[in-house]
Amino acid sequence: MDIFRRSLLLNAAVMAAYSALPLRTGHAADFNYQLKASRIADNTYAVIGKLEYFTGHNGGAVVNTAFIETSDGVIVIDTGPSKRYGEQLKKLIRETTGKEIVRVYNTHFHPDHCFGNQLFDVKQIAALPKTISGLKESGEGFSDNFYRLLGDWMRGTELTIPGLPITFSSEKFGDHRLELIALSGHTDADLAILDHKTGVLFAGDLCFLDRTPTTPHADLSQWQASLAQLKKVPHKIILPGHGIADPTDRSIEQTSDYLNWLEKSLIEQARQGKDMIEAAKLEIPQKFEKLKLIKAEIERSVAHLYPKIEQNVLPVISPGGR
Amino acid sequence: MSFSEIYRLKRQLVLMLCTFILVAYGSLSSGGLNAAEPENKELPKDVLNSIMWKSVATDYLLSDKNSNGTIIMNSAIKVVAPKDAEDQLNVPVSVDATAIKNVRKILVVADLNPLPEVLTYEPLNAAARISFRIKVDQGTPVRAAVLDAEGVWHVAGTYLDASGGGCSQPALAYKNDDWVKRLAEVRGKIWRHLGKDQATLRFSIRHPMDTGLADGIPAFYVENLKLTDSAGKILGRLTVHEPVSENPTITVYPFIKQTIDKIQIKGRDNEGNLFKASVPVPVTSTRLQTRK
Repeated sequence: MDIFRRSLLLNAAVMAAYSALPLRTGHAADFNYQLKASRIADNTYAVIGKLEYFTGHNGGAVVNTAFIETSDGVIVIDTGPSKRYGEQLKKLIRETTGKEIVRVYNTHFHPDHCFGNQLFDVKQIAALPKTISGLKESGEGFSDNFYRLLGDWMRGTELTIPGLPITFSSEKFGDHRLELIALSGHTDADLAILDHKTGVLFAGDLCFLDRTPTTPHADLSQWQASLAQLKKVPHKIILPGHGIADPTDRSIEQTSDYLNWLEKSLIEQARQGKDMIEAAKLEIPQKFEKLKLIKAEIERSVAHLYPKIEQNVLPVISPGGR
Repeated sequence: MSFSEIYRLKRQLVLMLCTFILVAYGSLSSGGLNAAEPENKELPKDVLNSIMWKSVATDYLLSDKNSNGTIIMNSAIKVVAPKDAEDQLNVPVSVDATAIKNVRKILVVADLNPLPEVLTYEPLNAAARISFRIKVDQGTPVRAAVLDAEGVWHVAGTYLDASGGGCSQPALAYKNDDWVKRLAEVRGKIWRHLGKDQATLRFSIRHPMDTGLADGIPAFYVENLKLTDSAGKILGRLTVHEPVSENPTITVYPFIKQTIDKIQIKGRDNEGNLFKASVPVPVTSTRLQTRK
């Protein structure tokens, strides 16, 4: 009797725990990202992410991934936020092209771009050396945070470090010659890829379109220099890291314009002696009002950038030293 | 008997003695001392529903020698922190207790931090307002307890979510080899408020603020700060604890007369390093843009 009662109680507790789970992880019980391949150029497909922050509802599919079909096989650009995403991306590639994957690139070390890596052959995953070292250093922390934010969408996801450091400046698959452009600014190492055959410029997170740029590892002056360089690269269409494909360079201009405004505004806030909480209360110019998540991203950017900006603005009163 | 054996015996003896003293003190305080204290008043319900509320109230508030045993929840105190900690090593917090009369001190506690006490500010000749940045180790209530002249604690707070790990990470300072050369470098600036004998003082002190929780790095942090005007009047005193962020960056709002031309910041860290800096007060006032 006693045992029976206890097991009943235990069951009730377990049931309660399980019924509470879907609340945390979102309603999509089948964890289907509903990935769709949109053709943006000949043999070139983009999987466009939602313009949202990582949540238990979107499972982290807020990022653009892409693939190019060549006669040698398929080239994949970024692998998404989780193992489940990687599986579904691989299935989509198989259904769309029917070909084997020959190369995978990680544009930078942020987890939404490379946590689908484990589905691919490590030796085929190429990234800039600093992307690899950054991922080794911060990957476990990213992983913890993603499990916390995305819940069950992350099930089985394991950090997978790219096996091929990019020390060369181009590669050719079939008749697609890819120029690998090593830049920085969004992170320590940002890879942009230009497909000379189609003129598609895969800009990674150096470019955002209609979604506020994020700055957790940003160096704003390097970022601006990289954007200036991208503008000079002859291309027909840009695939930004977040936002739809852009045939008019609007993503370069918008990103540059926003970062410029953000930096100037924060310097001005520091000059006025604002603390971090006050500093985030910026008057948003009309041209940026439509950028998705702008208020939240400004708050985040203040956390990333303001301590350093402030150190440069506040004068030294006493030199210190012991 | 070898040396190590003697040492071990000695250690055991010391341990036994310590235990004895603790037990003796425990029975004394539970029997004798507590009875003398005001009869355990019921604590007000914690607006933040923290499991640590009782211990925070007992350890930090009721134990204060100036407390009269009364604690009230008072939403007139504004404690502002982001809902989510973006950078766990740098979470901005600001406390505005200007709505409370005769503030003796402001105590800031992060309940679920391994080291909950953040700082204590005595605004002796300053507005009862302060902002600073903290490290957090996990999601935690952040609360301000404000002691008034009658000994009443007024408490308010907010909940801050975080993914974990801020307190047990080594300071970034150690990435630079020359950190010692610039230890306790003080940066700062003063903005005089238009039409008032008041100013905003924002300053930062270069210091690693080691919590002692990162592997192999002992606690090393700024402990005390005193702010004095050029006429020698003490404007405010701060007791700082480990959870305050590396390179503590603090804003206070001292009351200063037109004749004051400097505010001196004097401080020391837990290793006894002393530092001081005199921040010039501008002659002219600025109209600070404030936006709600």
